[in-house]
Amino acid sequence: MSAYLNTRVSLYSGRLWRDEDLDALVGVPDDALADTLVQRGLPQLLVGYDSQTARQQDTRSLEQRIIAQILDETRVLIRPLSGDGRAFLTFWTARFEISNVKTLLRSKMTGERPAAALARLTPMGTFGRLDNQDLAHAEDVGELLRRLAAGPYAGIVNHARRAFEQSHDPFSLDAALDRGYYDGLTQRAQPLEEALGAPFRSLMANLIDRINLVWLLRYRFNYRLPPAQVYYLLVGSRYSLSATRLQELAALDSLEAVLAALPAAWQARLSGVIDIPGVFTRMEHDAAEQALRVLRSSAPDMARAFAYLILRERDLRAVRAVLRGRHLGLAGADIRLALQREPVEVM
Amino acid sequence: MLRAEPLLKMQLLMLASEAQDAALALARFGVFNPAPCALDTLTESPAVAYRDAWLEAETRLAKLLEQCGDTGPLEIPVEAEAPTLADLEELNGWLKDVWTACLACHESEAQITDEGSHLDALEETLAKLERLNVDLSHLLRADSLLGVSIGSLPVTGLKRVTEALAMTGHLVSRFDQVGEQVFAVIAGPRTRQDEVRGLLAQAGWRELPVPDELRTHPQAARAWLKQERTQLDTQSGATCQTRDGLREQFGPRLREARLRLALARPLAEASLAGMCGKGGLTALSGWIPKRQLKALRAALDTRFHGRYWLELREPTPGEVADVPSLVRYPGWLKPFVPLVKSYGVPRYGEFDPALPFALTYLLLFGAMFGDVGHGAVILLLSAALARRLGRMAWVGIAAGAASIVFGFFYGSIFGFEDIIAPLWLSPLHDPVRVLTIAVGFGVGFIVFTLLANAWNKAVAGHVGEALFDSTGLAGLVFYLGAVGVLASLTGAADVARPAALLAGLGIVVVAAFKWYEAKAGLGERILVTAIETLETAINLFSNTLSFMRVAAFSLNHVALALAVFTLANGLEAAAHGFTLVLGNIVIIVLEGGIVAIQALRLMYYEGFSRFFSGDGREFVPLRLERG
Repeated sequence: MSAYLNTRVSLYSGRLWRDEDLDALVGVPDDALADTLVQRGLPQLLVGYDSQTARQQDTRSLEQRIIAQILDETRVLIRPLSGDGRAFLTFWTARFEISNVKTLLRSKMTGERPAAALARLTPMGTFGRLDNQDLAHAEDVGELLRRLAAGPYAGIVNHARRAFEQSHDPFSLDAALDRGYYDGLTQRAQPLEEALGAPFRSLMANLIDRINLVWLLRYRFNYRLPPAQVYYLLVGSRYSLSATRLQELAALDSLEAVLAALPAAWQARLSGVIDIPGVFTRMEHDAAEQALRVLRSSAPDMARAFAYLILRERDLRAVRAVLRGRHLGLAGADIRLALQREPVEVM
Repeated sequence: MLRAEPLLKMQLLMLASEAQDAALALARFGVFNPAPCALDTLTESPAVAYRDAWLEAETRLAKLLEQCGDTGPLEIPVEAEAPTLADLEELNGWLKDVWTACLACHESEAQITDEGSHLDALEETLAKLERLNVDLSHLLRADSLLGVSIGSLPVTGLKRVTEALAMTGHLVSRFDQVGEQVFAVIAGPRTRQDEVRGLLAQAGWRELPVPDELRTHPQAARAWLKQERTQLDTQSGATCQTRDGLREQFGPRLREARLRLALARPLAEASLAGMCGKGGLTALSGWIPKRQLKALRAALDTRFHGRYWLELREPTPGEVADVPSLVRYPGWLKPFVPLVKSYGVPRYGEFDPALPFALTYLLLFGAMFGDVGHGAVILLLSAALARRLGRMAWVGIAAGAASIVFGFFYGSIFGFEDIIAPLWLSPLHDPVRVLTIAVGFGVGFIVFTLLANAWNKAVAGHVGEALFDSTGLAGLVFYLGAVGVLASLTGAADVARPAALLAGLGIVVVAAFKWYEAKAGLGERILVTAIETLETAINLFSNTLSFMRVAAFSLNHVALALAVFTLANGLEAAAHGFTLVLGNIVIIVLEGGIVAIQALRLMYYEGFSRFFSGDGREFVPLRLERG
C-alpha cells in the first residue's frame, strides 16, 4: 500500500508547474493553448479553448473543472489509505462542499431559484455527502440550516445556525462555517501529527498559522471587529501562533504593530509586506516551499501526498488565473502581475 | 425475449406552445425513451424554465404531502391536458405560500419547544441559586458597575468564549449543563459590554430572562415561571393551525396540484434528458420500438392533427452504445430479470441472457440441492411468503420445484436415500458418474457462452474478435479440440488425432490474432502473445473444472444428511426426532443458501463474464408517474 502511494505521489509530482511553465502558458499562442493543456494532463480545462471540445456539453465553470481535477487526484491518492489518513484527506476535500453550503445559504438569502444555485455548486463526485437537490429546494435559510443540521456536517452547521439565529448576520454564518471546518481539520490532523511527525506537522502549521494571521488582520482592520471577537473567530491553534500570541496580536491597533509583534523569524519572512494580500502571498509562498521540501524528502507517504495536494491546488489556481486573464484579453505582463507568484525553491 | 427490440431514433418537432402536450402524449404512449437532442440548428433549451418550475413545485408538494399524509391513489383522466408554464408557475407560487406558512409554524413550534426547555433550565437554575447566599437582584441591577448576564451556550465553545472574554476583563462561571448546553454567568465591566456583544452572538449565547423578584420573593419567581409556561402552552395550541388544518383546508387543492404536476412531469423529464428548440419550435428526441411506429403516428395525429414533424432513422453504428435496450419478458421470466440486471444491462443488439440464465440457474440449483423434502419446504415457504417476497417468491418456488424433480432423480427425501428409488442415479453410490456429468454440463455451458460471445461481437461489428479471438469461434475450435483430446485420453471417445488437429488449429489462430492485436515492440509482442494464448488454455480448462462443484455439492448434500443421521442415531427417541428436524433445518438454511449463491456465482463468473458486457442502457420510458 505504501509503495503504491509513494509511487503515485512521485508520478504526480511530475505534474507540478514550474514558474517558467506558467510563464510559457501566459505567452503561448491561442491555437497552441489546447495542445499545451493536453500535454500538461489537463484536457478537461480545454472546453471553450479548442474547436473539438467547443461543442461538448460541459457546462461546468473553469473553477468547477479545476476542483474536479483536484478531487480526481485526491481520490487516487486516498485509495490505499485507511483510518486517520483517509479521514483527513477526505475531510480536506470537504472544504469544497462547505463552499457549496455557503453558496446555497447565499442563494437562499437572495431568493435565487434553486436551479441557478445548483448550477453554481461544485460537483463533489464520490466525495459528496450532501443532497444538493434537496438542500437547494429548501424554502429559506432557516429550513436550509435545519436540513444541514441533520446531515453529515451537523457539527459545523449547528454552531453556525445558532450564531445566525442570534445575530441574523450573514458574516456570522460564513465565519462560523469556516472556523468550524478548520477546527475539524486540526482535530483530524492531530493523530497524524503524532504518527507522522514533523513533516506533516509543518504542513499543518503553515496552513493554520497563515489562516489565523490573515483572518486576524482582515477581521481586525478590514471589518473593525473588537479584539475579543476576532480572537474568538480564529482557529484553535497549537502551532507557532499560540492562543496567547493570537490574543496579544488581536489586541494591537494597526497592521504594522501586528507585524512588528510577530516572532523574529516571521518578521524576517514578512519584511517589506505592507498589506494583508501581501501577507497572504508571502505566507502562501513559504508554505509552498515547505510543501515542496516535504514532497522531495523521504517523509512519510501520507505527508508527501498532502504536500502534493497543497502544491497542486496552488498550481491549478495559477493556471486558472492565466486562463481567465487570457480569456479577458489581458496583457501578458498584467497576468504575470496578477499571479503574484514568486519562484519556489527548496533551501 | 433473447434480444432487445429494434428501436428507431425519432425527432419530434412541434410548436413550443404544445411541447407539454406532446410530452404528455408520448408518456401516455408509454414506450418513448427520451434522449439528448442533437439538432445543430436548434440551439435553445426551451423547456428549462418549465422543468425548473416543475422541480420546485414537485419538491414543495412532496414536503406538504409528508406533513398532511398521502392524498390517496391518483387517477389521471384520459382527456386531461398538461399545464402550461404560466399555470405551473402559479401552482408553484401557491405551493410556496402554503409551505412557507407551514414553515413559519414549524419555526414557532421549534421556538416554543426551545423556550420550554429554557424554562425548565431556568427553574432548575433558580432552585440552585436559591440555595446560594447571593443577592441576584442586586447583581443584576442595571445601574451597577458590574454587567452580569445569565444564559447558555454550546459546551464546545465554552473554552474559547472564556479565553476571548478574558481579553475584555469578563469572567465566565459555569454552573450547570443540560445536554450540549452549558449554563453560565458572565460578569464584567459594564463599560465594555458593547465589545462583547458581537462575540456573544457569534458564540450562540442565549440569555436567560431572570425576574428581579428572584432572590427577595421566591414565590413570585415561581408564579412568574408558571405564568410563562401557561403562555407557552396557549401559543403552541394556536400557532399551528395552518399545518394541523392542512388536510382539511387544502386537501382537494393539494390533490389537484398532484394531478397537474403528474401531467407536467413528462415535459420536465424530457427536458432533463435534453430538449432543444428555437423561436416557436421545439424538438423532442428519443427512442421508440420500431413496431410501435404506426401506433405512435396515430396517437400524434389524433392529438395534433398534423401540427408536427416526425423524423425517424435507424441507430447508427457509432451510437449503438447509447441506444437503450428494451426487452419484453414473459411473466414467468420477469422474477429472474433482476438477478441478471444486478450483473448489468445487455447492450442494444446483444444477446439477452435472462432466459438461459433462468433455465440454467434452476438446473444447477436442482442438481446441487436435489431432495424432494427440502425442495418441497422451499417451495411451500416461498409460496407462503409470496406477499412479502413479491416476484422473488416465484424464483423460490421454481428453485424448490427443481429441487423436488432432482430429488426424485436422486431418490432422496429429507436425506433418506432408501424411501424412494432413484429415477436416475444416486450421487452417493455413483460419484464418478456425477462428476463426469457435471464436467460434461460445464463443457456444454462454455460452448454456449463462446457461441453467444461470438454472436455479440459480430452484432457489435467486431467481426475479427468474433472469429479469431480466444473468446470467439477460434477459441471454441480450440476448446472443442482440447475436450476431444482429453475425452480420447480417458477412453470416452476415440477422436484424438482430429481433435488434436482442431485444437492446434484453434490455438494457432488465437495466437496469430493476439499477435496482430498487440501493438507493441517485438519483445513485448512475443510476451503478450505467449501469455495471453496460454491464459486462454488455462482459463477454459479451469472454468470447465469449476463445474465439478455441481457434483461436489450434490455429494455434499448427501454427506450432510448422513452426518445428521449419525448424530440422531446416537440419541434417544425424542432427541433423535429433534436432531433430525434441526439437522434438516440446518441443511435447508445453510446448504440451501450456499447452493443458491454458488449457482449464481457459476452463472456470473463462468457464464456472463464470457459473453455479456452488461454496460447497456436500460429503456426508461416517459411515464405519467414514477413508481
